Amino acid sequence: MATAKHAVEFIVNGEPADTLVEARRTLADVLREDLDLTGTKLGCEHGVCGACTVIVDGRATRSCLMFAVQADGCEITTVEGLDVEGKLDFVQRAFTENHGLQCGFCTPGVLMSVHSFLKDNPNPTEEEIRIELSGNICRCTGYQNIVKSIAAAAASR
Amino acid sequence: MDKVTSAVRLPKDRSIRKGKWIGARVERVEDPRFLTGAAKFVADLELPRMLHAVFVRSPHAHARIISIDKSILPGLGETTFVFTGEDMRDVPPLIDVVTLETLLKTPQHSLALGKVRFAGEAVAVVTHTDRYVAEDLAELLGGGIEYEILEPVANVAAAGKAEAELLHPDIGTNEVYRETETHGDVEGAFEAADQTFSLHFHHNRYEAAPMETRGVLANYERPDSQLTVWSSTQMPHFLGSIIAGKLSLSNQRVRVIAPEVGGGFGQKMCTSPEEIVIPWVALQLGRPVRWIEDRREHLLSATHAKEQFVNLEVAVKTDGKILGIKGEFIGDGGGYSFNTESALIEPALAAKAFPGPYRLETYQETVAASLTNKSPAAAYRGVGWTACNAAREIVIDEVARGLGIDPADMRRINMLNADELPYKSITGQIYDSGSYKESLDKALEAIEYPMFRAEQKRLREKGRYLGVGISSYVEQTAWGSDSSAQAGTPLPSHDNSTVTMDPGGKVTIGTSVSGHGQGHETSLAQVAADGLGIDIADVRVLHGDTLTSPYGLGTYASRSAVIGGATVARASADVREQVLRVAGRMFEVSPEDLLIEDGIISVAGAPSLSKTMAEVAFAAYWDGSLRDDEPGESHQPLLSSTRFYDPPATYSNGCVVVLTEVDTDTGVVRLDRIVVVEDCGTVINPMIVDGQVHGAIMQGIGGALLEHLIYDEDGQPLTTTYMDYLVPTAMGMPNMEVHHLETPSPFSIGGIKGMGEGGQVAAPAAVANAVADALAPFGARITHFPLSPDNILRMIGKIE
Repeated sequence: MATAKHAVEFIVNGEPADTLVEARRTLADVLREDLDLTGTKLGCEHGVCGACTVIVDGRATRSCLMFAVQADGCEITTVEGLDVEGKLDFVQRAFTENHGLQCGFCTPGVLMSVHSFLKDNPNPTEEEIRIELSGNICRCTGYQNIVKSIAAAAASR
Repeated sequence: MDKVTSAVRLPKDRSIRKGKWIGARVERVEDPRFLTGAAKFVADLELPRMLHAVFVRSPHAHARIISIDKSILPGLGETTFVFTGEDMRDVPPLIDVVTLETLLKTPQHSLALGKVRFAGEAVAVVTHTDRYVAEDLAELLGGGIEYEILEPVANVAAAGKAEAELLHPDIGTNEVYRETETHGDVEGAFEAADQTFSLHFHHNRYEAAPMETRGVLANYERPDSQLTVWSSTQMPHFLGSIIAGKLSLSNQRVRVIAPEVGGGFGQKMCTSPEEIVIPWVALQLGRPVRWIEDRREHLLSATHAKEQFVNLEVAVKTDGKILGIKGEFIGDGGGYSFNTESALIEPALAAKAFPGPYRLETYQETVAASLTNKSPAAAYRGVGWTACNAAREIVIDEVARGLGIDPADMRRINMLNADELPYKSITGQIYDSGSYKESLDKALEAIEYPMFRAEQKRLREKGRYLGVGISSYVEQTAWGSDSSAQAGTPLPSHDNSTVTMDPGGKVTIGTSVSGHGQGHETSLAQVAADGLGIDIADVRVLHGDTLTSPYGLGTYASRSAVIGGATVARASADVREQVLRVAGRMFEVSPEDLLIEDGIISVAGAPSLSKTMAEVAFAAYWDGSLRDDEPGESHQPLLSSTRFYDPPATYSNGCVVVLTEVDTDTGVVRLDRIVVVEDCGTVINPMIVDGQVHGAIMQGIGGALLEHLIYDEDGQPLTTTYMDYLVPTAMGMPNMEVHHLETPSPFSIGGIKGMGEGGQVAAPAAVANAVADALAPFGARITHFPLSPDNILRMIGKIE
């Protein structure tokens, strides 16, 4: 059942990476399994829950809905690219100060979404935060402390 | 001691040492690894030579399996391995452990054997080194399975029909339980009543839907006969015992590890059949095998919850006093009365908890559970208490409206006063302490109740429909032998924590409670830090691995603060005593003359005579002159203690009040304010408590407004993706306003009560009552959830 493989290369978290993939292999699976970057999570694999969100060429992207071959030549940032040698970045700091995570499974996707929209809208209102966050499902927090964390992150800048 | 308290088995000393840590809003120590993507869940774990497993699942709700043609798979026995129920026929089936004489049991084979009883039931498992290929192979094999379709039993009504197909012919019926218990003179109460009211309520079927689906990685190392299983589970030790039992291994050779678990909410406490299949496959192949559930598979085949029919009759006096209630609670159990807690997890718990915070002196409860061709029902945060609370609070509001009494007053007339507790309810639940009226008052004060009523009246005249919904609740917590017995499904248990101080004065705790988002590594460190007089940075909490944690039942039913807290407090107290004994010898004073503060041990009144914890610990381990072998007072060099706890039942309480506006053109319900008053006794970490309240409320709102698992008349599931099964998102929700009362338990160690389910227990009723209140001018009645737009429009007669 062997199928053709394609060479793909990306810059992931600032470092070059390359691998051979079947055309049908998702970006999420390649990041997690080929590149051992398991921080990106799979919550639904049909593009609704947002747990797989990564940044591809500056845009928040559902990595479960993207084939790795589509990301060939792209710059990708995953949750592993946020901290600097273990020092939490301003968004991560705000999340731990405001109890913005419980089980932590939705957290990587949320952090990437947050980075993406704070870039476009550095001073969001609470309503804007809630709308932007609606593409990330969380089952633990009821969203309240996530919203609080995002507002705190924005304010800390 | 009053009659009620004397009936509870209590240790004499129930105090714990409280210092700067307990009650403090401490940032979670576990956060960094989750925030940086370093935390490993089952799907993140990989072993050399690992095979990926994919389940083939029945497309039919009810069918006999005629044949499974493995031969159509390429590479069979070489690169592809397949196992069916026939291959596993000697593995004992899963079964519930509830000890009720008339409860019929429905053993469940981990891979369906002979027949399937719900669409999505696993009939075979396929393995391959490539997950994508494994899925292709599973699809291929699906085409090679022949079924004989049986008449589906689509719902409870169908299950009871004389001509209904039997799901388990051996037991001769689809109703696995039906018993009625009468407490007090119920008939007399109904004769003496001025009026009676009735409610027929259908609580919807929904499920936990944790962000992390289920998953199992198992590895069998033949040379050591060692089986290691990583599973997204809430009960690692219990699972280990079950696996050992089913696979005829000794517990000693089965290690279970719950790695990070991405939410459980009760759904990951009972044994999933897949948790038996995957280890069994690993045993056959002698190499690692990993199954990760995808979301569609989860919505299809993970356990469901909450679906009950609750039929109530209420006998009241014109002044609002409830004289008696008759309640029938019928659970839709799905294809199997599920293992561990059975299908009674819904109706039995509902029936026993029904009195809630009210003085109910006569009560007739009928508990029943039926099998249907749906995914089985099992535990989900709030269990049967959600449907019970919903029906009860809804009917109280209906009675209030019918009698022309304010719903808050209706509650006050029937509520227990704080000074009546400890109180034994008519169903035998012993409420230790509570603040029922106080939490109701506080919630109504927060929303400025009289002003709201005035505003509601004003806006009604303008054709706008605002409503207020009240939901008072009592929440049973700290599930141990006592709680489970009082709840209606006895399950004896105990738990342990081991506290050890190393030669450097740092502490490591192994605990049997098993966190999956609750922040135990922080809250239990807070308890130990106060117990030992050290900083939480010097305490490390290990959980989830049967190798490094002592035996216990894990985390579910809001038990870990009480049990984890108590065992850690007790073991810490022991280690504190050991440390002081050593220090006493070093200072040549009595240990009673020593103080510990911030990791410094000093002589009371002589602060210059001090040593650090590290110095004392080092001396304990290495200074031979400080040891002695005298029995009784002997000092052991290893500073450690293991303590157990099997708590008495404790009951938290609170009140949820929701303000809503209903759009009578679109049927859309908008929540304007959500106010929660929560009383869970002594609080360890208020930040964590608030987080739990938020999450539970949101899940309750999800159940009331959005979440619904729908099956058609052929037992085909219609909600198998997140496009159809709707869960709450951040948008359109107001902030939840959480207020606290703190009424310690007089029974538990430290006065700690459990919490975490109250929001899911109470929020649906609050939403329902707010909607019913808003739509009172239409005479609308809530008969079922969710309160979707079409349900609302039907309620007010706008659509058929």
